[in-house]
Amino acid sequence: MDRDEILRVLRAFETSGLEYVLIGATAMGFHGLVRATEDLDLFIRATPDNVERLRAALRESYDDDPHIDEISSADLLGEYPAVRYYPPTGDLYFDVLTRLGEFARFETVDAEIKEIEGTRVRVATPAALYRLKKGTIRAKDHQDAAALRERFNLKDEG
Amino acid sequence: MPVQKFRSIEDMNNAPMPESWRPDFERFLRHCARYWAIAPRVYPRGVFKFRTIEEAQNARARG
Repeated sequence: MDRDEILRVLRAFETSGLEYVLIGATAMGFHGLVRATEDLDLFIRATPDNVERLRAALRESYDDDPHIDEISSADLLGEYPAVRYYPPTGDLYFDVLTRLGEFARFETVDAEIKEIEGTRVRVATPAALYRLKKGTIRAKDHQDAAALRERFNLKDEG
Repeated sequence: MPVQKFRSIEDMNNAPMPESWRPDFERFLRHCARYWAIAPRVYPRGVFKFRTIEEAQNARARG
């Protein structure tokens, strides 16, 4: 994951007006829980205009890569709520989500604003990340959930 | 405190980590860069679509 590439993409997200929230290991990095990852996971608000903003941000970041046109609101708002984009730089990829079953979507993930080099980044809160990760089946997510719970003294609800 | 010494691996594991002067996200980026240098991957190009997050995760696990 190249530093300048990530910063360029985050800047493009902001300038395009994309409504998004970072989740996953990248979001954990913003909260000081550092582990390596190969991808950047984000929820976006599920509207056609917002999907267009995503495409615009990625086009700006990746020199109008023609594959970006394959990211469609018909898919993201319909049968395919998870889209993975591998950009031409080849050292990271994006998992773009509009919903996670009936469990989570952009509107249900609490977020806070972080800033890096003048760019405002919308990041899921530690509690929101914990909720997303604790219920999944991947061992890596369980480890992340445990780290979040310990670092931020989080309690299970109900 | 650039060097710390321990009498056992247990002492080492229990030692508090020194606070880094780097911002959290900078540490994350540097960590990912090291990971990439050690274990570079070759990815496909383009866009892939999944009906569920489980499908997406399985595809990732298959590499």
